[in-house]
Amino acid sequence: MNRTQPRGISNDRDRTRRRNAGASDANESGALGHIDVSHGLGGMDDVVTRRHFVKIMSASCLLAGVGLTGCRRPVETIVPFTRLPEGYIHGVSQYYATAMPTRDSAVPLVVRTHEGRPVKIEGNAEHPDQPTTDSQEHHHRGTDRHAQASVLSLYDPDRARRFGRNGENAPRQQALDFLASVSRKFEPIGGKGLHLLMERSSSPSRGRLQSLIRRRLPHAQWHVYEPVDYDVHRQAASLLFGKQVRPVFRLERARRILSLDSDFLAAEENSHRTIHSLAISRRLNSSDQEPSRLYVAESLYSLTGANADHRLSLSPSRLLLLAELTCAEFIAQSITKHRETDTAKLAGELRRRASPLPHSTSQWAKTCVADLVAAGPGSLVLAGYRQPLLVHLIAHALNLWLGSVGRTVEYVEAPARPELSIADLAAELEAGRVDTLVVLGGNPVYTAPADLDWTRAQRKATTVIRLGQYEDETSAVSDWQIPQAHYLESWGDARTGDGTVVPVQPLIEPLFGGLTEIEVLARLGGLTPTNPYEIVRDTFRELCKEGVFEERWRRFLHDGFLVGSASPAVRVGEVDWSILSAALSETENHKTPRAHQIEVVYARDTRVDDGRHANNGWLQELPDPVTKITWDNVIAISPKTAKQLGLQVTDKDGKDLRAPIVRLELNGRAIEGPIWVQPGLADHTVGLALGYGRTAAGRVGTGVGFNAYSLRVSRAPHHATGANLSKTGRTYPLACTQNHASMEGRPIVREANLEVYRANSRFARAMDSDTSRPARSPALYPNPLARMSTSARHQWGMSIDLQACVGCAACVVACQSENNIPIVGREQVRLHREMHWLRVDRYFAGPAENPEMLNQPMLCQHCESAPCESVCPVNATVHNDEGLNVMVYNRCVGTRYCSNNCPFKVRRFNYFDYHRRPLARLNVSPLVSATDGLWDTKRWWHDPDRGSRPEDEWNLLKLVQNPDVTVRMRGVMEKCTFCLQRIEQAKIERKVAAADSNRVEVEDDSFHTACEQACPAGAIVFGNVKSPHSLVAVSKADARSYQVLDHLNLNARVTYLARVRNPNPAMPDYHPRPHSTEEYLKHGGRLEGGFSSVTGTSLKTAGRPGGER
Amino acid sequence: MRAAWLNSDIVPGARTIAGGLLVGAWAVAGAWYYFTPEYTLVGYQPLQPVSFSHSVHAGQLGMDCRYCHTGVEKSWYANIPESALCMNCHNQVLRDDPRLTLVSESALEGRSIDWIHVHRKPDYVFFNHAVHVSRGVGCVRCHDKVNEMDSVRHALSLSMSSCLDCHRDPAPRLCPPSQVYNLDWKPISATTQLADGRKFVAQWDVRASSYCSACHR
Repeated sequence: MNRTQPRGISNDRDRTRRRNAGASDANESGALGHIDVSHGLGGMDDVVTRRHFVKIMSASCLLAGVGLTGCRRPVETIVPFTRLPEGYIHGVSQYYATAMPTRDSAVPLVVRTHEGRPVKIEGNAEHPDQPTTDSQEHHHRGTDRHAQASVLSLYDPDRARRFGRNGENAPRQQALDFLASVSRKFEPIGGKGLHLLMERSSSPSRGRLQSLIRRRLPHAQWHVYEPVDYDVHRQAASLLFGKQVRPVFRLERARRILSLDSDFLAAEENSHRTIHSLAISRRLNSSDQEPSRLYVAESLYSLTGANADHRLSLSPSRLLLLAELTCAEFIAQSITKHRETDTAKLAGELRRRASPLPHSTSQWAKTCVADLVAAGPGSLVLAGYRQPLLVHLIAHALNLWLGSVGRTVEYVEAPARPELSIADLAAELEAGRVDTLVVLGGNPVYTAPADLDWTRAQRKATTVIRLGQYEDETSAVSDWQIPQAHYLESWGDARTGDGTVVPVQPLIEPLFGGLTEIEVLARLGGLTPTNPYEIVRDTFRELCKEGVFEERWRRFLHDGFLVGSASPAVRVGEVDWSILSAALSETENHKTPRAHQIEVVYARDTRVDDGRHANNGWLQELPDPVTKITWDNVIAISPKTAKQLGLQVTDKDGKDLRAPIVRLELNGRAIEGPIWVQPGLADHTVGLALGYGRTAAGRVGTGVGFNAYSLRVSRAPHHATGANLSKTGRTYPLACTQNHASMEGRPIVREANLEVYRANSRFARAMDSDTSRPARSPALYPNPLARMSTSARHQWGMSIDLQACVGCAACVVACQSENNIPIVGREQVRLHREMHWLRVDRYFAGPAENPEMLNQPMLCQHCESAPCESVCPVNATVHNDEGLNVMVYNRCVGTRYCSNNCPFKVRRFNYFDYHRRPLARLNVSPLVSATDGLWDTKRWWHDPDRGSRPEDEWNLLKLVQNPDVTVRMRGVMEKCTFCLQRIEQAKIERKVAAADSNRVEVEDDSFHTACEQACPAGAIVFGNVKSPHSLVAVSKADARSYQVLDHLNLNARVTYLARVRNPNPAMPDYHPRPHSTEEYLKHGGRLEGGFSSVTGTSLKTAGRPGGER
Repeated sequence: MRAAWLNSDIVPGARTIAGGLLVGAWAVAGAWYYFTPEYTLVGYQPLQPVSFSHSVHAGQLGMDCRYCHTGVEKSWYANIPESALCMNCHNQVLRDDPRLTLVSESALEGRSIDWIHVHRKPDYVFFNHAVHVSRGVGCVRCHDKVNEMDSVRHALSLSMSSCLDCHRDPAPRLCPPSQVYNLDWKPISATTQLADGRKFVAQWDVRASSYCSACHR
């Protein structure tokens, strides 16, 4: 096969597929998802005859033994530049400011490149959109998991690699000529018959080109479709206030937050910033501070619900009633201000509609509203994107009445969006009025509402031109396929949440010659210039009028933002009552769900989003923050509903997790998928994550999970009612990284309510993790580190604030990216062989109807008295003098004793050569397999590094590796190193700067571990605990600081700050202690006199090693 | 057909003995090789594509190492200069010398020269030039007197023990910062070296780590 061709195009591949039909069957388990194994399985079905075996054996003996050819030393060459790029120093990483565009916003980034290839994504800490409170300015450098994982997508070998016409390769120039011909064809007729279907974008350049093209082609029609669309925020605000505005939330200033199904920590736009804001509002540096209080009413169990102080689970139809009741209660409670008759009438109507709500729920709403009213301008009400317009209007109105506008929420200018919808486009297509359809990004064949029958509709256009990053479902029914450039190889621009303009600048030439959206638009519109760099510069010229252009442009690229370009805030006046009343009469109330009238909620998936990240292995293997399931989506149902339907998830010996497959029918459409019993979910409600069941995603994402889009219709894009669940009798194997949800009364995550914390701020240290013993026994042996640490300048330690951590798992992906951690695939995860060095543990406590959820990032604790070290027979895991538990890969022989002896289960073993073998062939010997038509042993002989990865995979995936970290091979143990490479780099930089002076101590806060840097909440603090004023030492000195499993005398270098909840005592669901504490007490735990405060530091030489104990 | 001397009837256990001898010989040969300097590449002096002479440039002409190896103070890597840098001088000096054809062509046409790597370390070792040269470890300490070599020769062993010797006891091996790039510098005597070295260790707070994590990540 021609290597430059994309896979999956030529006939060769089809042949491979057919030949392997038998082989791949073995890997399929039922009709549901499995990893696509059809690639490069050439050798799998080769029959190994005796003759063949002898041939291979003799050949390998010859190769390995005779003549010691294995000891040959190949000649290595150094290929220097012929002309050195300016400012380039080989071996020193370069950093560029750019941004990852999202639907309505962008994530400002600083990306590290190594030898011209981007390898690590970091947040841009200089970006002006920083949370500000009355007291101080905060520094936000976090990112989200999608941004962290996006670097892997850049090197995805399955990306669209060619220009195609009707499935055949077309030269690039031919495609460009065709675009020009389209432009010439439509210009005389004003664009009649030309339709463009786009995704949402905040790019000023795209907006400018659109208006230019509108002038040239006034009859061309523009359509926008997003399967998960946040535009309702803007629509509602603009409608209610009669101005073109959108809300910007400032959670950092909020004291009381009510979320009406708004998963602002995971599913909404700009979640990385919102997480930081929430963490600031909850900050607890001293016991006189009060953390903000979060009320959440939701249908699914979301990350936001998991972090709530009061959570109410309601089916979507009930949630609407709750919103109505909240509004009515608000009017009733602040009636003095709103005495007008129409207000009272509205309140009466709202209350009447909400009457089916049970007393406890209305009591919840009433008390919650009273709390919001008491907090006044410090309150904030948020509505989720899934909620109907009415709920959004109510939320905006409440914010206005509470006086929160200008404080916790700001309304900023947002231009109107005149684009039409996908339903309009479908109607035009059906009517045969579409001559040329241009699909820019997106994947409508997969994501469009099922009732539009998009595959058929799209074919009705005479010509379909598709710009896409992948040759996916939509490409298959398009006439022209144009590869789209990844954002890391594109020139572009975007606006972040506050409206600040940020550049998107390329860090590498397009790997597959892809085009950007603005370039295609410019070519279609017959505009000049068509070069995206020039387009962005022209836009920038319009955006910044004053100053020397070149200077400002260079600053723009250097800083990664344009100062003062944030959208101006708009003053909003009174609420127009009639709008609220009108919306009320338009919104119909649904009946309460029952066993055979189940309500369905379609959710943006926490990992693959709407399906766009389906081929990203890091995200596929990232456990869902709540269910902890990897490589699948599930039909989430509540325990009660599961019991009624007689469904049960089984886990035989903890090794074979199986979920029953059910059939979910809704208005004549049906899907089949495995269920997952999710405590805390509303009864008779099912949650379906979108983005799975792809049929043409690529090697990683094809066939994973089931497709929830096939149920979704344009009338009911977010919720639907009247579904029916029926058993199929089959089961499905799921891969879940944490099957056990309870802490069983052990104080692993420690928490207390605010009153308890105020009474005894050291409550966490008083909790005792071994209740079976009367008191802590002192260590029998002296701390082994005490002797060796005398020579060290630094003692490294980490403190993790569980009050700030929301469990978003950005750290997990950041760690994977930084430390070359492989993905292992679904089958290996089922065997609990996932490789994440850092995981986020999730626990539930309390009743199954509405439990409290707890998160805990768990990584190597770097115990000073490390149990792993004492059992290693080959000294492969040892301590260094700076308190790091280091892993020496070259010494490791893979006994795995260390892992057995680790109480935290944070050590990971390379059961297979995950880097060098494709997932489907992990356990196939290179002696009997072939790749790209070549015997693997021969390939190995020519390039021992390559393994049995197909050439295209290997050539690209090796580029994503961090060159500062060893890529581990099969048979060695690995684990968190505290980002040793960053520590050493920081020390080296300090020493180089020190030269012949003694200022060699690394300054505090001058470098960060990958998890710390990525954490949007700022929950992780890492540094030198020996220096008493370092951030980490201060954090460890906090009264809430504790060690996990402290009774083992491990003296762990990772300590945690206990979580403090702030529930409202007046609420009906108030309980004086968190459920986990209740469980702890039930298991005989004590709340005072624990041993933690009794013993002192064992390590006298270091100032505060291992933190406070 | 069978060789009579291998017949176990004649010499009991002959096969065992023969096998043992064979394995033993391999083991001895392997161990022998391991302990020779050959194992650590000492003496390796490949033929380079361009007959560049360090003894002319760094020796006779006295050019500073950093004129060509520009990254050595900033990066882990002491780079091979780009062809354009050679042409800074050689578009005046020895302009038409046939020995320089490859270099001038390379600079003109943008085609790189494949130099042969001499001082190599395994992939799992993370050595950093910048920190060594800025803290008093002279080039000559590892590369020997390159200024006297025509073609670069791997003169000293770069085994792990050579690293550890210095990391465990840096004082006898540190030089004044001004002499790092002076390949001909020699301490007045071993005593003064030791005295100076101890002074540097104290003044610069040198605590070279000999823990695994210093070089392996």
